[in-house]
Amino acid sequence: MRRRAALTALAAAVIAGVAACAPSTPGSGGGSTGGSGGAAATADRLTIGTTADVVNFNPLVGNSRTDSWVTNLMYPHLTQMDETGKRIPYLATEWAYSKDGKTATVKLRDDMTWSDGKPVTAEDIVYTIDTVKKEKFGVVAGLITAYDKAEVVSPTEIEFKLTRPDGTFLHNIGFWMPIVPKHVFEKAPSVQKFANDKDWVSAGPYKLTKVERGQRYVMERVEKFGPAPSGTPGVKEIVFRVFPDVNTEVLALRNGDIDVIANVLPPATAVSLKGDSKIKMMEIPSLGWAHLQYNTKRKPLDDVRVRQALAHAVDYEAIRKIALQGFAKTSNSSVLTPSQPDYFDPTMKEYAFDVNKSKELLKQAGVTNLSLNMIYDQADPNIAKWAPMVRDSAKQAGIEIKLQGLERNTYIAKGSKRDFDIYAGSWAIMDNPPANMALAFKTGGFINYAQVEDPKLDDLIDQGQRALSPAEAKGPIQEAAKLIHEQVYDNVLYVETFNIAHSTKWTDFKPMPSELLSIVNPLSLAQAKPAP
Amino acid sequence: MRLKFIGVRLLRGLLTLWFAVTVTFFLVRLLPGDPVLAVADPNMTEELRAKLLADFGLDQPLMVQYLDYLRQLVQGNLGMSFRQSLPVTEVLMERLPWTLILTMSAMVATVVIGIPLGVLAATKARGWADRLIQIGGITAQSLFVPSVGIFLLYTLGVLLGWFPIGGAIDPDATGFAATLSMLHHLVLPCLSLVLIQLGSYVLTMRSTLMEALGDDYVALAKAKGVRPSAVVWKHAVRNALLPTTTIAGIQLGMLFGGAVLTETIYAYPGIGRAIYEAVGQMDFPVLQGAFVLLAAAVVAANLLTDIAYGFLDPRVRTA
Repeated sequence: MRRRAALTALAAAVIAGVAACAPSTPGSGGGSTGGSGGAAATADRLTIGTTADVVNFNPLVGNSRTDSWVTNLMYPHLTQMDETGKRIPYLATEWAYSKDGKTATVKLRDDMTWSDGKPVTAEDIVYTIDTVKKEKFGVVAGLITAYDKAEVVSPTEIEFKLTRPDGTFLHNIGFWMPIVPKHVFEKAPSVQKFANDKDWVSAGPYKLTKVERGQRYVMERVEKFGPAPSGTPGVKEIVFRVFPDVNTEVLALRNGDIDVIANVLPPATAVSLKGDSKIKMMEIPSLGWAHLQYNTKRKPLDDVRVRQALAHAVDYEAIRKIALQGFAKTSNSSVLTPSQPDYFDPTMKEYAFDVNKSKELLKQAGVTNLSLNMIYDQADPNIAKWAPMVRDSAKQAGIEIKLQGLERNTYIAKGSKRDFDIYAGSWAIMDNPPANMALAFKTGGFINYAQVEDPKLDDLIDQGQRALSPAEAKGPIQEAAKLIHEQVYDNVLYVETFNIAHSTKWTDFKPMPSELLSIVNPLSLAQAKPAP
Repeated sequence: MRLKFIGVRLLRGLLTLWFAVTVTFFLVRLLPGDPVLAVADPNMTEELRAKLLADFGLDQPLMVQYLDYLRQLVQGNLGMSFRQSLPVTEVLMERLPWTLILTMSAMVATVVIGIPLGVLAATKARGWADRLIQIGGITAQSLFVPSVGIFLLYTLGVLLGWFPIGGAIDPDATGFAATLSMLHHLVLPCLSLVLIQLGSYVLTMRSTLMEALGDDYVALAKAKGVRPSAVVWKHAVRNALLPTTTIAGIQLGMLFGGAVLTETIYAYPGIGRAIYEAVGQMDFPVLQGAFVLLAAAVVAANLLTDIAYGFLDPRVRTA
């Protein structure tokens, strides 16, 4: 009897202990546990699944996908992208270049305010771009090398002075640069070290109200948000829930615990979900491409015939059909993909998979027993599937490719040091061919992994960058793409068709190209609504 | 005598902790890759790279970094997260309660289920129950957390709808409902950890109890006419429990290891997941901090086990 009492006391103590240990429980307003569950969806809450936490709430520093999804809803950009990749107004209403291309002017909306009531003005934009330039923040810093200084013409108008004509400047800052509140960020001694982890002052369609790391991020709509089609975002509350394992995330969607999966699903998972009547799959084009890059500084890869031999030893169609399960399109071996209608060149032809031609080219180059290493990120489910296919097809041409599937950080480090023969990877977003080509193929370019040094190509890219409109840039950029194709400075394998899944209880999402925008971009979430 | 015994164990614990801290410090720096690349764009300028390295203290010689870290640690400072620009203590303290709830409840459940099963197997040795328990025990030892996790989530979560899919608590629940929700979310991750651990408890208990049941004092108790259940539970089990207690100490470390995968599969917001994320982000301070905390927990648990042992069994105290 005494023992039973003791056991009961022990059990009670364990439960009480567990309860006492419980971290503070949130208690936000109504709605369901997570997604819409079995009931019909209401516009009260939309729950979005993601595979990672927000790492940094400072939009100028954070560089993960979840960082972008959350901070994009908090910090406006000058422009946004439509379904075709075209720039459309957001914070900016008009933009133009001067005739000499050395001055860019932007006019702003006058109805945007920060969440602390202060207006969003030209001062904020100037502060943001100057900070990016001064502290050299990642991608944006690399894209504004022509930027000299900015002048505030009025609270809603800015003039950017450029050191050289650059028709990609507005395109780049419009899309890539989130605007931060000067009056908040300037108080930080170093913006790079500013965590921005509480008391957020934002101006997007949603404001962040609660953070439970490892679990969820709760955002409430801003009742008056001019850029939303109806002036107010449709959904009252957006919740990002974190599922580090994509399989669990998919189960949560199937169970109704979440309404949307923000990240792109691997092709095999997408195929398995197609028959589920409760799930709608949306296909969005990638703005990037998957490719093989050959290190032109290493022998015998400095010989174009060897690079061509390698290009003819890849079975492109098999990769798209088998590894990507059909969720990929050809780009005709061109860096101007169909996702770029302003620049796409239909005359380009994909390298034929022809092992005899490959052998012949190697013979002409006097190369025998060719053996090369190929690095790739082993955690990338697509590349992990097609890397062995590249190896096997090359073997038919008598080329040995040694696969080096690496842990992501090692892969990035090796790529950055150009320590490889063949680099297998993919670009996530190549949204502006003149600017992208400058980074990827110009001598000394930031992401010139193949270490291309070709004065003719540099000149063509420069012409493209100086042009102030896509129509003007198209000629030299198409010429540049042809040169890249002939010289095999890049071997584009495919453009992926991304699969995004959401519950059929929701509708009216506005998909945009690239995983970074997906269907969780500000414009899409501002107009999404429960299905009738 | 008793104080000396505790003092020696305490000193040994501190030495173990220092060793764990040192190994971890150098081990994370052996990771291939560059932590600066995980923070900034891989194609940053040399100037920015140098600035970031200096900010992180990674521009100093390794020994200087190590001594600085030890100095910080003694002052209770685990440093700043590279990626989150937040104090590591803040990052980890948010996660620690969840890991403690998960691992402690798994440990209690494993002991509560494992010992009676071991006793049943030993007392019914070579019977069908024993065989079944042995097969189950050996199978459990070879289970892989992610497979078990997805299987349980799919069957008990999606198909039967008994448990939620991932997470640790219903955000809308308050008060007692929040506690119930937390326990509800805890069941599947806890069950996964129990399943992978149960085998060793059951099999150890079975073999030590079978040995104890053949000892003279058991024969004497039986000869004195003590009830068979009292012979088992009052005499034999008490002696057979000592090796099982040792396993509990060792298993604690494994339990924390299992928590990394369990928390990842079940989207459970504990330290295991913080480790998983920090490895990908090369966030050395968070990684080191998490390992220090876990090492301290294992050392403390072993210290308590040692001390408890000393009180329970005088032979240990004088050994």
